Amino acid sequence: MTGALLPISTAREATALARRLLGQRPWVVAGCAAMFAVEGMAGLVAPFMLGRIVDVVVDGGSASAITIAVLWIVGAAIVGGLATFLSVALLARTAEPALADLRETVVERALELEATQLESSGSGDLLSRVGDDVRLVTESFTEVIPLLVNSVVAVVFTAVGLFALDWRLGIAGLGAVPFYVLALRWYLPRSGPYYRREREANGERAEALLTGIHASRTLRAYGIAGRHQELTTAASWRSAQLAIDVFRLQTRFYGRNNRAELIGLLLILGTGFALVDADQVTVGAVTAAALLFHRLFNPVGAIVGLFDEVQSVGASLVRLVGVAQLPPPVPVHDPQRPADGHLVVRGLHHEYVEGRPAVDEVSLDVAPGHRVAVVGASGAGKTTLGAAIAGRLAPTRGTVLLGEVPLARVDGSGRQPVAIVSQEVHVFAGSVRDNLTLAAPSASDADLSSALAAVGAWASVQALPDGLATMVGDGALTLTPALAQQLALARVLLADPHVVVLDEATAEAGSAGARSLELAALAVSADRTSVTIAHRLTQAVTADEIVVMDAGRVVERGSHDELVAAGGRYAELWAAWSSG
Amino acid sequence: MTNQPHPATPGGLVRRTLRRQRRGLAGAIAFITLWQVCEAAVPVLIGVVIDHAVATGDVERLLLWGVVLCVHFTVLSLAYRFGSRIGFRAGQEESHLLRTEVSAHVLSPRGARLDRLPGDVLAVATGDADMVAEVIDQVVYTVAGIAGLLVSAVVLATIDPFIAVVVLVGVPLVLVCTQVLAPRLAHRAHERQEAIGRATGLATDLVRGLRPLKGIGGERTAHDRYRRQSREAMGASIAAARWEGLLYGVTHTLSVAFLAVVALVAGKRALDGDLTIGELVAVVGLAQFVAEPMGMIAYLVAKLARSRASARRIVGLLAAPPLVEVGSSAATGPAGLTFESVSEGSLRAVSIEVGPGETVAIVAEDPSDAGSLMHLLRGEGTPTAGRVLVAGVPLTELTIEESQRLLVVAEHHVDLFEGTLHSNIDPASRIDEARFGAVLAASAAVDLPDDPVTVNGMTLSGGQRQRLGLARALAADPPVLVLHDPTTAVDAVTEQRIAEGIDDVRRADGATLVVTSSPALLARADRVVHLVDGEVVAVGTHAELATGEAYRAAVLR
Repeated sequence: MTGALLPISTAREATALARRLLGQRPWVVAGCAAMFAVEGMAGLVAPFMLGRIVDVVVDGGSASAITIAVLWIVGAAIVGGLATFLSVALLARTAEPALADLRETVVERALELEATQLESSGSGDLLSRVGDDVRLVTESFTEVIPLLVNSVVAVVFTAVGLFALDWRLGIAGLGAVPFYVLALRWYLPRSGPYYRREREANGERAEALLTGIHASRTLRAYGIAGRHQELTTAASWRSAQLAIDVFRLQTRFYGRNNRAELIGLLLILGTGFALVDADQVTVGAVTAAALLFHRLFNPVGAIVGLFDEVQSVGASLVRLVGVAQLPPPVPVHDPQRPADGHLVVRGLHHEYVEGRPAVDEVSLDVAPGHRVAVVGASGAGKTTLGAAIAGRLAPTRGTVLLGEVPLARVDGSGRQPVAIVSQEVHVFAGSVRDNLTLAAPSASDADLSSALAAVGAWASVQALPDGLATMVGDGALTLTPALAQQLALARVLLADPHVVVLDEATAEAGSAGARSLELAALAVSADRTSVTIAHRLTQAVTADEIVVMDAGRVVERGSHDELVAAGGRYAELWAAWSSG
Repeated sequence: MTNQPHPATPGGLVRRTLRRQRRGLAGAIAFITLWQVCEAAVPVLIGVVIDHAVATGDVERLLLWGVVLCVHFTVLSLAYRFGSRIGFRAGQEESHLLRTEVSAHVLSPRGARLDRLPGDVLAVATGDADMVAEVIDQVVYTVAGIAGLLVSAVVLATIDPFIAVVVLVGVPLVLVCTQVLAPRLAHRAHERQEAIGRATGLATDLVRGLRPLKGIGGERTAHDRYRRQSREAMGASIAAARWEGLLYGVTHTLSVAFLAVVALVAGKRALDGDLTIGELVAVVGLAQFVAEPMGMIAYLVAKLARSRASARRIVGLLAAPPLVEVGSSAATGPAGLTFESVSEGSLRAVSIEVGPGETVAIVAEDPSDAGSLMHLLRGEGTPTAGRVLVAGVPLTELTIEESQRLLVVAEHHVDLFEGTLHSNIDPASRIDEARFGAVLAASAAVDLPDDPVTVNGMTLSGGQRQRLGLARALAADPPVLVLHDPTTAVDAVTEQRIAEGIDDVRRADGATLVVTSSPALLARADRVVHLVDGEVVAVGTHAELATGEAYRAAVLR
């Protein structure tokens, strides 16, 4: 199903974009960095002063020396606390606006995607980018990144601290680094595939559970509920087993971290022993070094533990940047306003697969305000023709003119040229009002109610719990298919385009709803050029012209009476339809 | 599917979790406690090495304590490895059991009357099941944390009782002070989550509806909406970060200041000769360490509340009553379907009779009439007056096995499953090749591509899905079959073929009820029942009824 996926940026492009976004607020970034530095330095004071106290005790110094050292620690506690507060707050002020810019650009580009591009990459890819990826990056910026930055700061300043105590102690501390690196190099290549498999298994598990919930009636009716339960159990255990395997791997990784901790500690104590023995450093300095290093266990553990998460944030980020970097749509060159709703299709030809035309040299001429009905069996090319007229599809060749202006040159800033409603119904999550104002942001409630009345839905909307303010769509009230499609048709009235294409806009509503939808469709095409694609021939009877398609070609055209009298393909369809 | 009753209370559910994972629980507690004690001992050991080796310059001691440190780290590492693995496995097993219990309840033969949206049920089966299973970890780490605290207290008390009191009173005080801020932070963090969730939800919803959205040129308005939500999420994140920073800052200041107090007391004692250097290091190290188990316990107590809330949701879902009403009778008569002056919902005294080998069609002009009919036929309710009889027995008095054997209701909405064309049409593999071919032909589905079917049949068109659903209903070949609007998404010629096909397949001895307004189907029915405003206004053949104006208006379009 999925052809070419949407682009993914390189790490370099992602970094460049991040730098550009962050660069918009240089002073906040600088302030944030400064606060992290203060925090790191303040963190060194306590171990240093504890070492000083040890020295005071070893040398039999004065009690006031201990008090002074303690006061230093208290001072550092206050400065460090303040710096911590400011660094976290400033980090948010740095990162959050940049993040908001990024996700808004991503959604903007996503909404601008050409329909053809969307078809070829499948909506799943885009959906997971504007959904899961944005969420992952956003949440990690508020949870993971501060922890990571803090840990890195702690590690860097501890290393600095070790070197400040004595360069040899510093080198001893660095001796642990190769072992941490080894642990990571052992772990990361092994964990990556596991995580991917675990995500897939979780996806399958969710799919199995959801199918069971959605389709429980069908599963029970056909006696396959028990089998589906077995399937669900198997999927659930597969994902549990993978989680257990991943965890086993993690614990082996933690064991390797413990090894690195031990080696570092032994190196520092051993080096300290030798240095004290040679009178190069004091016992207090060795104590401070050991305490500094011990204090590092948690931040280092956090960094290596976060490596997975950082990797997956990185993977999401390049997917987001890939979308953000898509070129914005090219503005129309020399835009022109169509004079009227005169629709002309000339020699339209489209091949999805080369050599197999879906629409084969079709021409139409629809006078302003007229209604054309396109009929024919499934696969006759009706939908492709509708998509080309609506500008959703760049045809292999041929032109579509609106009011003498080629569709691609129509000035988009004015009245919308062509609207299309298909049988694909979507109720947008939000209020009924939100659903309608998508087409006309400035419409008043009076406009909305008259549009709803025109499509015969005003009474139904008034009957909803909160009328226009009723929350509908995903996670809220589910509307009947008929009412959902009436909302879609009301949107067309509000958008008030020159031309409307109705592609099976009345199918799937069930027999009881179909008639009210047909009336709504008529209301939408009143005083407007319209192309109606229909299975139900009722919609054809009253059309100004009927176009019968077969295998991509127009095989007949004329009024209902003419075509019935001609006794051709349409007459055959009509006989089947009306005889019953 | 378990026969055991589900726990009735959240506490009961949590207790059952602990009971059935008791072996894993015990093993994990043993190892994790050992690990905690080892962690507590690390600063003590550092102090010992400094005291006995670094300060004295004794090489043998250095080597000896170096070996001890190695052994210690090995024990620490292995104890965590095995303890956490045992606990994790128990947790995974438990959440798996809870998840399958929820799923089994939803899929139980009589169904479950759920008052939640599907996504919500999924969240209960995944997130809430995981959260309840976390109780195991919570118990393990709380016990281990307490053990770590006790060991620290004992060590501190042996070094210096006064310092032990300072540490064991001071640390909880520091924790309590920082906890004052925690609820406010939790509140802000919750707001941030909500705002991010709203923004993400809006974006995915817009992309799902992208084609209809582009159809009316609503992209700009949609993006403006998203921008507003995104800015709201940004504001909430910055506000939450401020509180987070405040909490971290205060925690940092208090814990370091407390360390200063301990250092002051211990330093002076060491100066007086009451403490050795090693003991001084151990005291300072332990003072830092005890904050960990204490913080952990406070965190776990907070999480226990969340686990209980999840347990409440699971218990509530498992308590959902069955959807289908059943009795204990078996069929007594020939397999027909009878409505005996039934009133229910919008229906008023409706009588319909479908005998074996007969096909009866119902024209219901009002969707709520069709809705009431389907509600009764699914066995999800009994009529307020009259009876719905299947094979001579009220539908809701049949056993579930009997009603499933006798009656299949094919819904207008067709659910498809991942698999093949064949596995969707004949899911229980009951029919042979010849019958399969006949069913395909009858549903005008011979031309359907034999490609893998994806979940919900996403790759199929509406008409293809509908024909597949019809083929499945015909393949099931029940004595009584109900079809709800089986041909709304197919063209007139195909509809005609389907009408003939249904007739061929069902004519022998099946009783068939079709709710439809398609003339092609109506013309093939033995009788047509015309329902208006919940009442039967006419019964007869399509040709007979077609002379009436109201009927013509309803079906001849």
